[in-house]
Amino acid sequence: MFALEVNHIVKTFNDKKKNIVIADDDVSLTVEEGKIYGLLGPNGAGKSTLISLISGILTPTSGTISVFGTDIVSQTVEAKKMMGIVPQEIVTELAFTVDEILHYMGGMYGVPLEERKDRIGEVLRDLDLEEKRYEKARSLSGGMKRRLMVAKAIMHKPRFLILDEPTSGVDVALRQKIWELVRRMNKEGTTILFTTHYLEEAEQLCEEITLIHHGRVIKQGRLSDIQKEFSENVVTFELFRPDVTHLPHVSKQGIEFHYPITTHLDQNMSEVIQHYGDNLRSVKSEAASLEQIFLKLTAN
Amino acid sequence: MNATTFMWALYAREVKRFQKLWFDTVATPIMSTVLYLLIFGVVAGSRSIPGTTYSAFVYAGLLGMMMVNSSFANPTFALILSKNVGTIIDIQLAPIAPWRVGIAYALAAFTRGVFTVVVAGIITIWFIPGIAIQHPLTFLAGLLLTGTEFGMLGVTCGLMMKNFESLTLVTTFILQPMIFLAGVFYPVSLLPAPWNTVSLFNPLHHNINLLRYGMIGYSDFSPFASFIIILLLSVGLFAFMNQIAAKSLKQ
Ligand SMILES: Nc1ncnc2c1ncn2[C@@H]1O[C@H](COP(=O)(O)OP(=O)(O)O)[C@@H](O)[C@H]1O
Ligand SMILES: [Mg+2]
Repeated sequence: MFALEVNHIVKTFNDKKKNIVIADDDVSLTVEEGKIYGLLGPNGAGKSTLISLISGILTPTSGTISVFGTDIVSQTVEAKKMMGIVPQEIVTELAFTVDEILHYMGGMYGVPLEERKDRIGEVLRDLDLEEKRYEKARSLSGGMKRRLMVAKAIMHKPRFLILDEPTSGVDVALRQKIWELVRRMNKEGTTILFTTHYLEEAEQLCEEITLIHHGRVIKQGRLSDIQKEFSENVVTFELFRPDVTHLPHVSKQGIEFHYPITTHLDQNMSEVIQHYGDNLRSVKSEAASLEQIFLKLTAN
Repeated sequence: MNATTFMWALYAREVKRFQKLWFDTVATPIMSTVLYLLIFGVVAGSRSIPGTTYSAFVYAGLLGMMMVNSSFANPTFALILSKNVGTIIDIQLAPIAPWRVGIAYALAAFTRGVFTVVVAGIITIWFIPGIAIQHPLTFLAGLLLTGTEFGMLGVTCGLMMKNFESLTLVTTFILQPMIFLAGVFYPVSLLPAPWNTVSLFNPLHHNINLLRYGMIGYSDFSPFASFIIILLLSVGLFAFMNQIAAKSLKQ
């Protein structure tokens, strides 16, 4: 069963000057139930737009989106009940306490009145916010407000949790805490979709990713496959003295050099060792980082 | 559907919002009611109106005006603020159909109107000796209709307007003139032609008329006709509010 099926989504914006901006051009992706899925891309790629389309705030210009088989456009309310969404922007009710916010939010997602009190306690314990339960939300620190955003989204124990850049602008400790919660909820059966522009975050959390750039899917699939595909393509090495004659097709990537594999990994590796000899500081063909893959994909 | 979840939780939240400011909610209308009563009821109190006293006439009108003002103010204020703060996203994401969102806010507006009128009424009714509610059911129906009607109008305006400046413009140049020309301070039937006829086209006149009839038994136009007119207007407003809600809670 797919928690999410996004089929050929196009969203065209009509802004004030009647200009048409294509934010997501023909994006398609599927998330299997029980997975942690990463949606990656630089700022402005269209991640939040896609999240808004999935969460039913934006209507797609064409294409379909379904959540556990329920169409978000024709059965909006039913589809929304299954999702918990943590938007990118932190927003805070001015008048209410943490307890009140969660109480009403739970209610709006169908948590029965008699269960809400206990559920608020549970959620606040999970997010380390117990002491703030009866404080005004606006008096919380930035990191706490971010956690409150997560708390609001999980009050009704959604089957599918979507987090839009949950860790942008938060400190390392909080980031760990959010990852921990995401992993735990996933173990308990919640499907997770999160967006990030921190590539290492995806490497830590998920098996499958979609990379988007300028509103287009540029790469999709299992993270390990993608890494394998890219790592087998290149021998990476560092030199003590970089200004020497190079093998053909060698390119410089920061302080490293990349030699594309033309015949066979071992063959190319020994070519590098023979050519550079004791000028080599290091040589490897290990899995490429997402960062490198991303640079490569967006270059052409 | 449970009576405490989904749209009812939203309703409860919006009621809680004004309850937190209950003093501000009632203090302002009470203050202005007392001032109006002093000026119009006492200073001009010698004027007579067939079948009632002038101060009772004005008093009933003022309560009607209070009902209109507080039920209009509640959703406009809450919605414009939530747009500026960004918390509008909470109702956009929630599994509640836009028309139910509208109704939840409108019912909260009605609740605030009744709360204000009841509290302010209890405090100020002693200014008018011998006054008693003549037709309680009509009065209740008038409150319910007026509260939801102006609640829905408030929801519509709150969703359409981006900031408090445009709200002030609408209140100052449309709502207030309509209230003052709705026969709060004088019987419309006493106006010279064509203003007596023109006033009948002021929708607010019918709210004031119906509520006043329920309260003191005086009307300057058929209360039943006023009731039907308000009902029809409310149905129209409901349809319009739904359209605006569907459009503005989703893009
Ligand atoms: N309401 C809108 N009207 C016009 N353009 C928009 C709107 N929302 C987003 N966009 C455009 O879509 C692109 C993607 O934005 P966004 O989804 O926020 O990116 P990301 O979340 O990946 O940083 C941006 O270039 C932005 O200009
Ligand atoms: Mg974004």
